Amino acid sequence: MRPADLFHATTFRLALSYLGIFTISAIALLGLVSWSTSMFIEWQVQETVEADASGLSEKYRERGVDGLAELVTDRTREDADRRSVYLLIAPDGHRLAGNLYNWPAQTPDADGWLIFRAEYNGGATFNTDVMARTYSLADNYHLLVGRSLYDAHRIKSAINRALGWGLALTVLLGIVGGYFTSRQMVQRVEAMSRTARRIIDGDMKSRMVLSHGHDEFDQLAQAFNEMMDEIEGLVDNVRTVTDNVAHDLRTPLNRLRGRIDLALMGKADIDTFRRVLEATLAEADNLLATFNALLTISHAESGARLHQFEALDPARLAADVAELYEPLAEEKGIVLAASADPGLAIQGDRHLLFQALANLVDNAVKYTPAGGTVTVTVAPHPSEPAVEIAVADSGVGIPAEARGRVLDRFVRLDATRSTPGNGLGLSLVQAVARLHQAGLFLDDNHPGLRVRMVFPRPPAEAAAAA
Amino acid sequence: MRILLIEDDAEAAAYMAKGLREAGHTVDAAGNGTDGLFLATTERYDVMVVDRMLPGLDGLSIIQSIRTAGNATPVLILSALGKVDDRVRGLKAGGDDYLVKPYAFAELQARIEALGRRVNAAAPETRLKVEDLEMDLLARSVTRAGRPIDLQPREFRLLEYLMRHAGQVVTRTMLLENVWEYHFDPQTNLIDVHISRLRQKVDKDFQQPLIQTVRGAGYSLRASR
Repeated sequence: MRPADLFHATTFRLALSYLGIFTISAIALLGLVSWSTSMFIEWQVQETVEADASGLSEKYRERGVDGLAELVTDRTREDADRRSVYLLIAPDGHRLAGNLYNWPAQTPDADGWLIFRAEYNGGATFNTDVMARTYSLADNYHLLVGRSLYDAHRIKSAINRALGWGLALTVLLGIVGGYFTSRQMVQRVEAMSRTARRIIDGDMKSRMVLSHGHDEFDQLAQAFNEMMDEIEGLVDNVRTVTDNVAHDLRTPLNRLRGRIDLALMGKADIDTFRRVLEATLAEADNLLATFNALLTISHAESGARLHQFEALDPARLAADVAELYEPLAEEKGIVLAASADPGLAIQGDRHLLFQALANLVDNAVKYTPAGGTVTVTVAPHPSEPAVEIAVADSGVGIPAEARGRVLDRFVRLDATRSTPGNGLGLSLVQAVARLHQAGLFLDDNHPGLRVRMVFPRPPAEAAAAA
Repeated sequence: MRILLIEDDAEAAAYMAKGLREAGHTVDAAGNGTDGLFLATTERYDVMVVDRMLPGLDGLSIIQSIRTAGNATPVLILSALGKVDDRVRGLKAGGDDYLVKPYAFAELQARIEALGRRVNAAAPETRLKVEDLEMDLLARSVTRAGRPIDLQPREFRLLEYLMRHAGQVVTRTMLLENVWEYHFDPQTNLIDVHISRLRQKVDKDFQQPLIQTVRGAGYSLRASR
């Protein structure tokens, strides 16, 4: 990643704004430290000046102006660090004692304090800021006691310098740290988008790498990987179905084509053409039926939220389907009977459920020999709060090992290949059962097949029954 | 009948128009929604056939507009969307019937003619009569040439539907939808078995068979010619 890109990274911008806030608070904090330090130093200078002045005032009370002048001269001489400043002036303004050359021009504040730039003699000539207090004595004499701020300034500037460097270092570390933190994040996000890009480009097997730190990125990557597994499963499913559809539709389409081809080869004979066209139409209708069955399955599989479920009476469905198939069963010499417990209810899509039941009854009638029986029963489940709809026949049945397989699309057992059908009937039943969260069970009916669909009862009704 | 056909697939429209004209109808065709709505609002038709997906203005919007304007012309919706929800949406928008593509021409024709007929039979009938076959809808009894015929409830409804559409072709899908009221694909030709049972009761002992099989389409109740 180029630094220019990094600058646009959300994490880096986030780091920068944090840095900005941090810098402002650091400046405020350091400013407070600096201000309180200078206050403390000023206070210390004042203390020193006042202590000095109290000694002088004692002398003045004892011995008047002369004694004071003497003491000031002594102190000036004794002042080892040359930081003290004194000036005692007579009413006419001329200097009686002290090391300051001139009385300052500034006016002192109410307590007599003032800060000024001064030249004074302390062995050598000093030229610094001085903080001083002025005292008015009797007979218009004036005394000034002060102390050079030279040390205070030095301490203050040393502290400020240290604070400045600290601030600079903080900002620098913030920028560098932000750069590296966001670079790390950006790299992980980039790795993710690279993976996503690879998947978009067709590599469905590509997955995000986990860092084993189990952080948010790992959680995201994990969720993404699980999503991709799910999608891959679905895509595989679709691919399998598409392959099956292609295979299953290709055979009749080929037959269709062959038939037309053959008719065109022969002599033009209206009757032949008519026969061929009729057969072609029938074949096309078969194709459409297969296609429609596939669409209905995918519709049922597309999920419950797309469907308008309503409360249904399963007894009514069973009676309707039995009534619809009864003439067909009778024609085949089969007894078709429905027995249903009244007063049960299930939530469902009426048309899809009817289609599923019709498929089951259709199969049962198709695979039961003459003299057999087919029964449709509706009853409460013996142990669970559920409704069981069962279609049982006395036909050939399905071998136990093939029962799982027959639910797959386009699966037709060898024994049934000669009967008409598209191998989608039970797949549709399964899809409809799943849509209704119903269990689908294929059992041996000794002889024959017994297919049970077990529907959970609507919560309100289950509660009322309990 | 005067039929308006709104369909953007030119080939399908030509094939439908040709078939309907051969059946003796007058057909106006529009190739997009805007022209279709214009014709629907400016001319009078007996039946309109509206494709659901159209350039310009979609079929359901056309139907909603003409219904809002108080036009009650029966509408048959054509659509590639065949789920029950799609049908319900189509019928809620004001359609009177719904046919899913691909369809057989016979199915389309039968449905159009059934729709055209429906408007004429506005008053509720209590007795239906076709040749010597009579049905009393209140007493729920059927007689042929004065002899009572005993029918199961479903057989009664089946015969009633055929009698209401006497002389017209009714397809197997129309019977399933209107007599059994389920939208589903029977894997076997169930309807044929039901019809043959009905024939046993209605036609068997009489010289003149009334229930006719129309090849490639369905059935029709009428005296054979």
